[in-house]
Amino acid sequence: MVSEPDGADNGSLPTANGAAPVQVKAGRHREASLYHALAGAGAGDGRTLGELREAALKVYESSELPVWRRSGFWSTSLQSLDLDALQTSVDAHGVPEIVTSTLPERPRAGRIVQSAGTVVQVELSEALAERGVILCSLEQAFEQHGELVGAWYSKRLPIDRHKLEAANAAFWTGGAFLHVPEGVVVEDPFEIVYAIDRAGVAQYGRTLVLGGPMSDFRVQEYDVAEDFEGQALHAGAFELYLQDGARCRVAQFQDWGSGEVFDSSTRLVAVGRDAYCHWLPALLGGHLVRQHLELAVMGKGGDMAFRGVFFAEEQEHLDVFAVDLHETGPSGGDVHWRGTATGESRASFEGLIQIDPGAQQTHTYLQIHSMMLSPKARIDAIPSVLVSADDVSASHGGTVGELDETAIFYMQTRGLDRPAAVRVIVEGFFEPLISELQDEALEQLVRERIEQKLAAAREDIETYATSR
Amino acid sequence: MADLEIKDLHVRIEEREILRGVDLDINRGEIHALMGPNGSGKSTLANTLLGHPSYEVTQGSIVFKGEDLTEAEPHDRAKAGLFLAFQYPVSIPGVSVANFLRMAINAKRDEPIQVKEFRTQLQHAIELLDVDKAFTSRHLNDGFSGGEKKRAEILQMAMLAPDVAILDETDSGLDIDALRTVAEGVQRLHDEQGLGALIITHYQRILHYVKPEFVHILMDGKIVLEGGVELVERLEREGYDQIRQEVGAGVAGAVAAGDSGV
Repeated sequence: MVSEPDGADNGSLPTANGAAPVQVKAGRHREASLYHALAGAGAGDGRTLGELREAALKVYESSELPVWRRSGFWSTSLQSLDLDALQTSVDAHGVPEIVTSTLPERPRAGRIVQSAGTVVQVELSEALAERGVILCSLEQAFEQHGELVGAWYSKRLPIDRHKLEAANAAFWTGGAFLHVPEGVVVEDPFEIVYAIDRAGVAQYGRTLVLGGPMSDFRVQEYDVAEDFEGQALHAGAFELYLQDGARCRVAQFQDWGSGEVFDSSTRLVAVGRDAYCHWLPALLGGHLVRQHLELAVMGKGGDMAFRGVFFAEEQEHLDVFAVDLHETGPSGGDVHWRGTATGESRASFEGLIQIDPGAQQTHTYLQIHSMMLSPKARIDAIPSVLVSADDVSASHGGTVGELDETAIFYMQTRGLDRPAAVRVIVEGFFEPLISELQDEALEQLVRERIEQKLAAAREDIETYATSR
Repeated sequence: MADLEIKDLHVRIEEREILRGVDLDINRGEIHALMGPNGSGKSTLANTLLGHPSYEVTQGSIVFKGEDLTEAEPHDRAKAGLFLAFQYPVSIPGVSVANFLRMAINAKRDEPIQVKEFRTQLQHAIELLDVDKAFTSRHLNDGFSGGEKKRAEILQMAMLAPDVAILDETDSGLDIDALRTVAEGVQRLHDEQGLGALIITHYQRILHYVKPEFVHILMDGKIVLEGGVELVERLEREGYDQIRQEVGAGVAGAVAAGDSGV
């Protein structure tokens, strides 16, 4: 199921909970969409961690580094990654400088930091620990809370779709486990940090988050790297399960810096009955980033807001597949992404709404807006909708914008110089989503990062604007 | 020497000459009205004074407070003390009126404005323009009605306190209440801050609320008639056609093929 642009077997897609397969008319969508939803296809299924590692290792050993090809569009290839030259276990030297210089200082519920393959910091407020909140490495969680963790680990994440996914499942060390028990409400964010402090590292990040019934909390993941020369890898797997009535705001701040960092990750958020999730990844840098992000509503009354911003620059390659999956209804969805690209970067966003049979009274909408700033950058937005229920509404829309010269002149007449006016337009473009983070410190961090990227691309933007 | 000296200004857009030798002097504290029929070049003059990149000055000069701004960047003209209230203000999504104002004010200063000072100024301007306080937290011109957009223009003018403001058909499309608020705002900025203004209009309506001391009639890219407020009254009685006939063959028949946007 990895790369099938010809889609020979996509007459039916597997669904969770033994529901009938989704019927798809041959040829209808296969040209446009390359990827498939996980749709509940987890590897867990009662197997132990050891068994899963073993199965994954077999896949790892028998497969090549992945290439995703889409005729007429682009390819995402990880074959320039020299995987054999990377090391999974290197000595960690405490919390890397990039972590302290990037993460906002403000009240937090807890923090766990993994550098390369080792967890170097775990911090949880005592009051929360007393109320049953668990924040620790996933390794430790398997030792101390084996039953709880085993029931959920890889429940809906596969381990065998490609070599790096298998590598993650086979080799992960450290990892993060967060459990917010039933009814516990936490205002401040839990921070989960994956940091790469030098070249030559293969980091296999593994996160499992459980939100008990009626819990209410925030999770923020930070993916950061020092600016180094040479290759590194982050192959991540993230799963978050929200039980009945739980509410969670998930944010992800990703900027792998100027090193040649490859990131191939799968992230799944599963929303239970009457639960709600607001999820906003900010993908702000990485040499080659490929993300499968899936938000699945699996319980009646589940609702979600799936947001995202991206900014690719220089030679970066970003490939995002975002899934808005509804397994049952009534349910709600709202997907809204915004992105831009400068330099010679390439960004591709494929958004899929999938409504399974029986997910009646689901209402969802997907919109993707992109802004062109650079003559050689490219953004592809590919929305698709797979609907297998008849009492639903699902639609998608989007825009492709360029800098509005009239708006620039308008702001110049108020005293802003041209770069400042451009910044106002681009920040204004992202602002509706950034302000949804509802976290002033994180919002500021994202705004600053966007500002830096604009400043770096100033000449490029100028050339483009005056050439039109 | 006048604060703003426009000398023999010739301007073209693409291959078409729109202004064909405009001379105009404006000082702080003076209210001027520039009137003219559609296509006479009024908006071209407004945009050229602020340095719109689509308009090319082929001859003549714009000197402001002794500094030649003919080739200056728009933001440098703004910093020098010029302001343009747009005929069609542009919406800036994602940026609140207050934040935008703060940025614009800070662009003119070395040190950022103190929060308290900014609030005081903003409060004063809000009262002047008779707008709701919530107005300033809305995104600039985004979803604003025509009247709200024009109020926002005058609000910016009040906050940025220019020496000379050009108001490009600020009166068009306004109902009488909005027109009165806008006009009174201009008048008060003139009275309180010594604002100099060039009110560009096709109609006489706004001039019932703001009294210009100097009136200029622009036709076919040239100022053909100048006088005091009595010229407005005359225009009201006689219309542009009568004046065109009177000022003679030099302009008659040479009506540019432009529309009101020129």
